[in-house]
Amino acid sequence: MDKSYKHVIPTGHVYIKESVLEKGNVFGVSADKTAWATGLDLPKKADYTVFAGCGYQLMKYADGMLASVRTAEKMGVGMEKVVGISKAFGKVGIDLAGITGRITTAGAEDIYTRVLISAINVLKKLSVDIGYMGTEEPCCGSPIYYSGFADDYINNAQKNYGLFKSMGVKKLIGVMPACTASLKNLYPQYINGYDLEVKHFIEVVADRLRESSIKPVLKKKMTIAYHDPCQISRVLNLSKLTREVISRIGGLELREPEVDQTGEWSTCCGGGGGMEVTFPELCERLAVRRVNELMATGVPVIATSCPACMMQLMKGVSKLKARVKVVDLAEILDEALPQ
Amino acid sequence: MKSKLQALEKDIIEGLRQCSHCKMCVSACPTYEGWYTQSSMGRLAAIYAFLMYGLGSEKELSKLLFSCSTCRRCQNICRAMSAGVETTDLIVKARNLLAIKFEAKGEDANG
Repeated sequence: MDKSYKHVIPTGHVYIKESVLEKGNVFGVSADKTAWATGLDLPKKADYTVFAGCGYQLMKYADGMLASVRTAEKMGVGMEKVVGISKAFGKVGIDLAGITGRITTAGAEDIYTRVLISAINVLKKLSVDIGYMGTEEPCCGSPIYYSGFADDYINNAQKNYGLFKSMGVKKLIGVMPACTASLKNLYPQYINGYDLEVKHFIEVVADRLRESSIKPVLKKKMTIAYHDPCQISRVLNLSKLTREVISRIGGLELREPEVDQTGEWSTCCGGGGGMEVTFPELCERLAVRRVNELMATGVPVIATSCPACMMQLMKGVSKLKARVKVVDLAEILDEALPQ
Repeated sequence: MKSKLQALEKDIIEGLRQCSHCKMCVSACPTYEGWYTQSSMGRLAAIYAFLMYGLGSEKELSKLLFSCSTCRRCQNICRAMSAGVETTDLIVKARNLLAIKFEAKGEDANG
């Protein structure tokens, strides 16, 4: 093995690749992918299939995983393709199984999982016929595409397409921005005859709110600034639609930061492209800058639509010791919609 | 493997040649903190110098490429105000180039 490999492809990115290909999630943990849906009573067959993605349900493991990867990088654990990187981690005493053990929050206790549950509630309240894939749900592979492992991404995509077909999935609703963008924009480029209809959560909500007479109203008035995740604004072009949905919620006021910091020009939270695993300090600086921009509007709440953005913004807020709450738009919608 | 690498290299260089070095993307890049190489244009210039003239090392290039958050703000500004270079896609392709190059090396070494 070429020794310089580990200097060229950062450990974190190799770790992400192996996690996606072997464990079927970005964080490389052996977690139950159905735990979040306990008690939600979701069928496997329905008109729309919700693609939950790794993000929201497993984000609670991110800190542990990032810390392990950084320690490994410092200790010089590099790519060891033959034995697998988790074994290489084990050799130097980094126990990845410990990451899952330390976290005990589950279901609605976990701030990220709560968003996913809210999103399901919103879709149910808008009477969208939804189901989910349960244990069968694959990883879309978006992180490995951005890490530069295009071949592995394409193989994974083709395998997933076969799985979707065999399970009779026709229409997908994505909650994670990155997964949705991957399934909607990247898969058709690599799969011949790709015919799945992929929509982001906010598109479905916007459609339903237009058609139906349901009017979401917040009991307590709220003023928010909205942080557009990059995949939502610049890849899926949903900034305008998101604002339409926000404007339909009664009692919710949106304050925009400077024109060149919002919508399709929204600045980065620092949570993209696998940057957290390689340049954590830079990442934190980006988060602080973004929170400062949003706080200039003087709002008490920052809303967003992506777990990575949520994590980054919360990091920025705690770094600045600011009194700002970070929430997901799905949670606000859940609160505003009548039962 | 080799022809695939060459095709990718050609694809990247073709994309890079469209850049007019207008530096619009520099201020748009969230990671820019004073050095051009912390911005999209700098990263693209580094890829070009590396591929065309062999300047810099893979290690240095990797550092520049993996410090991009792929937020696509540069690509957006280039499409709106300049040459329409697919900056972020090129950075991701260059990451892919490094991965292919080094994975091939690793396989060779293992026989």
